[in-house]
Formats: sequence, structure tokens, C-alpha cells
Amino acid sequence: MPTSTDLLQGTLDLLILQTLSLEPMHGWGVAQRIQAVSKDALQIGQGSLYPALYRLEYKGWVKAEWGNSENNRRAKFYRLTDAGRRQLESELETWDRLSAAIGLVLGRTVEVSR
Amino acid sequence: MISELLTRIRFLVFRKKRSEFDEELRFHLEQSIAAKVAEGLPAAEARRQSMVEFGGVESARDECERQRPGWWLGTVAQDVRYALRGIRAHRWFSAAIIVTLALGIGLNTMVFTLVNAVLYKPVPVPGGDRLVSIQNRLASRGDTGIPVSYPDFEDFRAQTTQFEWFEATQDEGVVLSENGNPPHEYHVAYATAGLFGMVQTKALLGRPFAPADDHAGAPPVVVLSYKVWRDRYAGLQSVIGHQVRVNGQPATVIGVMPEGFSFPSGVELWMPLVPTPDLAKRDNRQLRIYAIRKPGVTLRQANVELNGIAARLASQFSADKDLGVSVLTFQQRFNGGSIRTAFLLMLAAVGFVLLIACADVANMMLSRSLVRQREMSIRTALGATRWRLIRQLLIESVLLSTAGGVLGVGLAESGVHWFDFSTQTIRPSWIEFTMDFTVFGYFAALCILCGLLFGIAPALRSSKLDVASVLKDGAHSAGRRRGGWLSACLVVFQFALTLVLLTGAGIFVRALLTSLSINPFIPSTQVTTARVQLPATRYKDDDSRERFFDELLPRLRELPGVSSAGIASDPPGLGTVGQQIELEHAPIANPAQRPWISFVAQTPGYLETIHLPLLQGRDFNDTDGSAHHEAAMVTRDAAAHLWPGQNPMGKRFRTFDDKNKASDWITVVGITADLVQEIQENDPKPLFFVPYRQKKWDNMALVVESSGDPLQSMRKAVQSLDPELPIIDPFRLNDAIEHQTWFLRVFGRIFTGFALIAMMMASVGIYAVIAHATSSRTQEIGVRLALGATMRNILLLVMKRGLWQIGVGLAVGLAAAFPFTRAMKSLPFGIAGSDPTVFVVVAVALALVGMFACWLPARRAAGLDPVKAIRYE
Repeated sequence: MPTSTDLLQGTLDLLILQTLSLEPMHGWGVAQRIQAVSKDALQIGQGSLYPALYRLEYKGWVKAEWGNSENNRRAKFYRLTDAGRRQLESELETWDRLSAAIGLVLGRTVEVSR
Repeated sequence: MISELLTRIRFLVFRKKRSEFDEELRFHLEQSIAAKVAEGLPAAEARRQSMVEFGGVESARDECERQRPGWWLGTVAQDVRYALRGIRAHRWFSAAIIVTLALGIGLNTMVFTLVNAVLYKPVPVPGGDRLVSIQNRLASRGDTGIPVSYPDFEDFRAQTTQFEWFEATQDEGVVLSENGNPPHEYHVAYATAGLFGMVQTKALLGRPFAPADDHAGAPPVVVLSYKVWRDRYAGLQSVIGHQVRVNGQPATVIGVMPEGFSFPSGVELWMPLVPTPDLAKRDNRQLRIYAIRKPGVTLRQANVELNGIAARLASQFSADKDLGVSVLTFQQRFNGGSIRTAFLLMLAAVGFVLLIACADVANMMLSRSLVRQREMSIRTALGATRWRLIRQLLIESVLLSTAGGVLGVGLAESGVHWFDFSTQTIRPSWIEFTMDFTVFGYFAALCILCGLLFGIAPALRSSKLDVASVLKDGAHSAGRRRGGWLSACLVVFQFALTLVLLTGAGIFVRALLTSLSINPFIPSTQVTTARVQLPATRYKDDDSRERFFDELLPRLRELPGVSSAGIASDPPGLGTVGQQIELEHAPIANPAQRPWISFVAQTPGYLETIHLPLLQGRDFNDTDGSAHHEAAMVTRDAAAHLWPGQNPMGKRFRTFDDKNKASDWITVVGITADLVQEIQENDPKPLFFVPYRQKKWDNMALVVESSGDPLQSMRKAVQSLDPELPIIDPFRLNDAIEHQTWFLRVFGRIFTGFALIAMMMASVGIYAVIAHATSSRTQEIGVRLALGATMRNILLLVMKRGLWQIGVGLAVGLAAAFPFTRAMKSLPFGIAGSDPTVFVVVAVALALVGMFACWLPARRAAGLDPVKAIRYE
């Protein structure tokens, strides 16, 4: 497996929540989307993807439903709940604060995306 | 927020189905393969790569399962079930651990509860933690218990600022009488009016003292204790206002106190402390002060202030010269000295039991954990994490400890009850023995920790071991050296402590046996004694007292069923009076160096009543003791002591009173066999007998030998001479002597109990160690047997190690027992101290028990079938 950039603890949850905020998706889709958006820099191993999804579900931030995939195959879709959306917002805020602070310490100006 | 919580709770209860996860994974894989096929890879290769990329399916599934809140609860239940199965499977082992823990926890809790109550706990009255006892102190004599005079008390009370309450009592025995009720002697406290207010106790009936009750000239009143009210007045409400006579003087009953109240201690009647001309003298020291400090005032501050006042009084009044003040808690005041020593010894003994118990638990856990190395290795090999192994062991220990703890509480409870019951008659009434659960918590924690430490540490070590080598070779070789050394040390330690305990118990038992076998010639079950106190108000001079006893003695002898009667200052075994003497022709210049003797004053015929043989000379006659007829008898011991190598008959000596005034010369007229008059004295003084007429005391004991119960007729005989006179302390002689030795009986039982328990634990400990060592050598023993080793060889082989440990343990224990027994010698209860026979007996007994414990596994080993033993694993 190609080594991916090590994700900071808790960052994976944030990435998944962000990805799911666009539309409900199945696990495979989430992994592909993150990989594509990050231009292959971030590859999520299945060994951590599914535990993370389960964790988010147990916390009530995402909800899993069975549906049909694009090729008409039964698949489990994850959808962001209202609680998940609130969680995403607060995590994004924290992220911005943190990355800006780290940027300052490292002497780099970081373009704040939001 | 709430929906989040609900989600979590829902998942706590409902699990996801396994198939759900499988299906999701299958979907994932298919997608992955499809993507790779789309990139142009052949189907088989795409599938292979996808599988590789995915990694371990099982571990991913596990990881997902672990995200579930509370997922570990299920495994805990699993561990509990497993542990219970283990406990049941090794039921002897488990029972031994549980009982050991129960004894360790229970006994220590019990003794700490007792010691706490006797030495530290505040008196159970409101503000009891600030309650103190105050008395005068004479630094030059080291005496802190001198009573206080009434004027000094008033000065202290007027000048002190550190106390909320400041009251005094004068304790006395008085005779309560009235028409239609026999006179009876009671313990009265003459108290200042605030005594009841100080301890915030209201009367059950009527009223306690009013402030005016202790003023001079106030009408005399008396407050009854519940017990007197119930026993003497049958609990009648109409007792309030009743007229009684106290020592012949009229008084009115004004109140009854609630049940169990007897403040300061053992009081049966309370009367106001009314100042009299006699009390107003500064050198008449009669009072004990009880006071409650203001909140925040320490004992030291109270001491400093009162000593300041005392110093002013000392410079002002010659009677108060050199006198200081000691402010002490009740425990310090009343439970010092030998009581303190006894309880601290008990604490030490039970501490030993605790150490032995801990060592036992440690040893058993240790040998068990060595046996379990294999089990642990298998579990590790099957994928159990270290944490899971530790948790499993923890759960097992906690289960065993809980069982031990529950049993321990029961043990402690009943022990405290037993002690409470056994000491009911002699302990001060302000001591309450109630179970202390904080203390219980500490000991439970200690024992359990010990089990955990020794159960888990070796298991942890073994879980680090090379799994393969343990599985291959069996647990026997792994870690045996170190475990063996540690458990040997624990066994030595146990045997040493047990020997110390056994020695202590042995000394108590020996003293008890000695006390039971004293004065064997006295038929003590047929001898009844009771005292008579002639009140000074009606018996003013020597003649009136002499006449009373002269008239009483013939009446006692004529009572039905009475075969013999006498009157003596103290019945046999129940004390003496001491005096300094000087022998004729052997003057001693320095009064301090004159020898002390003990003596008993008695009427003619007393020797017959107690069956004391007269060896030479004669008993007293009716003229002995009158002027110019001073006479004495001596015991054989006393004669040998004071006139060694001479016949004491006709020898003369004189006595000195406390003002150093010499008596007339007294002639020895008889020699008796030896009599033990002071049971609790280690080193009794030479014993003399003198005629009653020579002393003419007002307080004498009537001693009657009779077949039935003569008490009623004795009382009638006394009251036919003086209807106002009660008889005091009626006793069968054997009961009285038993009462004297309560300390030996109670503490002897406790120490013996502790020692036997310790011995049992030590034996179990050595048995466990030897049995474990033997079973790990089964194959070796089989080989030896097959090669022709005899039964004797095998027995020796197995027992050698145990015998070594016992030997070393006994040697260490003997060395440690000497200081312990020295501490016991300071107890003034007739304990002889280090007696070689006690040491020998307990050492031999312990060695035999230990050898038996070693012999059991050795015999089993020697009886092995070599073929089976070699195949044994």
C-alpha cells in the first residue's frame, strides 16, 4: 500500500464529515472522493475508514442507510445528520484556528479558504 | 445533544449484525476490483491487488466492533464467568485464600475497633471530643492523678476562660435506705449542679439538678440511675418526691436518668456537691474535674492556662505548693499504663496475624501463578492482549477478595460483640465498642492489594515469557528459581511471627493456669464472702467497731448450713494491706530501706474457714491483739524470707504507719502453710496474719463456709445488729477470683486465638509451597523411584526444603520473641515473663505442626507410581 501522509489524530473524522456534507455516500465513495480531491495525496486505508465511519455513526453524527449504488448494487450509504453538521462546523473552526496558529509559528502565510 | 445521547444509548443496547459489516466489505472489494479492471488489469490480478490493499478483514471487523460504546462490557461478563469457573475448579485453593483474607481483614478490623475505642475515640456524649478530665499533678512524683480540693476547683472555675463547662464530682460509696427496703450500698457521685447540662442529658423522669441545688444549705436531693430505679423501685413513676436516707441522712428523690447513663463512669446515684466546712479546706483533696473546652481550644492551651492559675495558687497557699494541673482526655486519664500496654500488645499481635495472612495470600497466589504460566501463554498465543490478561486476573482477585471481605466483616462484627460482652462488667461505661467501617475499608484494601501484587506481578512476568518455550517445556522450569526463593522467605517469615505469637499466648495461658491452681486447699465453691462497712457516723470509736464484729461472729457461726465462719480484712486471693516492719535486734537506720510486708487482719477461726493448715504454734485466741498481747502468724515463705535459717516462733518485730510511728513489739505465735493472697502480683511481699483486735478497722470481709447459699441469712445476721447496714460485694470465692483474673481470661483467649490462627495459616502456607514444589518435580521423583530410590529417600528429598525453612523460621522467631515477652512482663497481672518451658513447648509444637504440613505432600510423592509420575505433565 502506498504510504499516505499521516493524518493527524481526529483529522480523518473531519475529512469524512466534510466529504459527506456534499451528499450521502457509501464507504468506497468516501475513500475515492478524498483521494481524488487531495490529488492522490491522501489515501484512506480501509482498516481505518470503516472504524471511523462506525465511530461517527455511534456518535450520531452520520446515519447509515441501505440503498442502491450507481450500478444498482445494494450498498450502505452514509448521510450527515444535523448533529454531524454542527460538529463539522465546530471542527472546521478549530481547524482554521489551529492551522493559522501553526502557520504563524512556521513563518508561512496560509490562505484561509473560508 | 439529547438525540446524540439517545443514539449512544440505542447502540449500547442494540448491536449491529455481523452480516451487515460483511456485506459492506464485499461491496467495497467489488468496487475496488471493478476500478482496477477498468484500468486494464486482468480480473485475477485486480482481485489479488484489491485483497492485498484491503489488509486483514478480521482485524478491521474487530476494530469496527470496538468503536461501539460499551463494547468491553460483554468481555467483562465473559471474564467474570471464566473467573468463577476457575474459583470453583480450585475450590480448596479458593477457600484457603478466602478464609485467610477473612481472618486477616476481620481480626484486624476488630482489634483496631477495640483499640480505637479504648485509646482514642471521643467519649460518646455531645462535645465528647472536647471533654477532658482535670486533676492535680505533682511533677516530683510523676503523679498526674491527684484529686483537687474544693477551694482550688472554685478558683480554677472562676479564673479560666478556655472552657464552656467546668464541673467537679466526688465519688463515694454510700448506703441508701428507707422503710420497707433493705439498705444497699451504691456508687454515688456528689457533683456540681452543671454536670448533667455539660453532657446535655435530660432526666427520664423528674428533673436533674437545678443551679441552686449545690448551694450550701440547699435541701438534700438525689437523682437515680435507670438501673437503681428499675431494680430498687421497680420502675415506679411515684418514686419522684420519695423520701430516702443516704448514709442515714434524709434526702428527696428528684429525678431518674435515662438507661445507660452513668457519667462519668459507673455512677448509680447523683447528689449535689454541697460545700461543707470539711470540703473548704485546701488540703482536703477529694474532687475530680470534668470540663468541656471551648471549640478550637487545644489540650495544650488548656494545660497552659490552668497551670498558670495553679502556679499562682501554689505561691499563695502552702497546701498547693508544687502542685500543677494535668488536663487529659478520658482515654489518657483512665486507660493509660497497663491497659494501654495490653491493647498495644494486642495490636502488635494482630498486626503479626495480618502480616502472616498477607504472606499466605502472597504465597498461594505466587504458586498458583506459576502453575498458570502455561494457561497465560496459551491465551497470549490465541491473541489475548496483555491488558486482557491483567483484567482477567484482576477480576479473579476481586471476586476472591470480596468473598473474603464479606466473611471478614461478619467475623469483625461478632468479635467486637464478643469483646463487648466479655468486658461488660469491668470496662468504664463511657467506652463503646462499635464496629468501625473505615478501619474495615483500610484492611480490606491492604489484603486485596497484597493479593493483587503477588497474584498479578508474577503472571505479568510470565506473560512476557517466550510463549513457545513455555508451551514446549511446561511451566515447571520457567521462573521456578525466583518464585521458590521468594516463597521460602515468606514461609520463614511466617514461622518466625507465629512463634512470637505462640509464645505470647503461651505466657498468658500459663499465667491463667497458675491463677486457677492457687490455694488448692480452699474449697472456694463453698466459701461465700461479703464486706461490711461500718459508717463513721454511728461507729465513732475502736470499741464500738470491735464490739460489732465480736457480736456478729457468733451469729454467723450459728447460721443454718454454715460449718465455719471468720472475719478478715481481705478474703484469700483478693488483696492485702502493706506495711513496713523492723525486726527486733536488727534495727535499720534509713526508714526507706525497711522491708515491706503484706498482712491480713482476722478473727480467731478464720484459718479453719479457709482450710489453711497451721504448721507450728497456735491460731489467735480472744485476747491476742488487745493491749500488751500483740501477736502475729507468718506463712512459711515469709518466715524463710525474714528469719532465714531460724525458727521464727517467739521472734518479735514492729510495724510503722504512714507517719513513720512505730507500733509496740509484736510476737510471732504461729506458722501457717503458704497462701497466695495477691493473684495479680508478680512478686508478692512476705505474708503475715494479725488479730482483728490489733487493727479495729471499720471495713471487713465476712468469710463463711457453707453448703447452701448463706447470703440471705448473712444479711439478716448483720441487720439484726444494725438494720441500716447493707452487705457489700457478695461473692462466692471462686467467682471473686475469676473476676480478678478476667484480664487473663479475655486476653489469654484472644492471644491464643490469634496464635492458633497464625499457626494454621503458616501451616497452610508451607503446605502450599511444598505441594507446589513437589508437583513440579513429579517427573524427577518418578525417575528417582524408577532408579530404586526408597520411600525414605523421597520423603527426605521433599521435606528437606520445608524443614530448612521451619528451622530458620523458628530461630528467627525465638530471637524476636524475647523483646515481645519483656513487654508482656510489664503487665501487672501475674504474668511471669519469659519462662523457658513456654519457649520450648511452643517451639516444639510449632515445629511438629510445620513438619506435618511438609509430610503430607512428601508422603504423596513417596507413594507415587513411577510409571505414571514419569509421564506426568
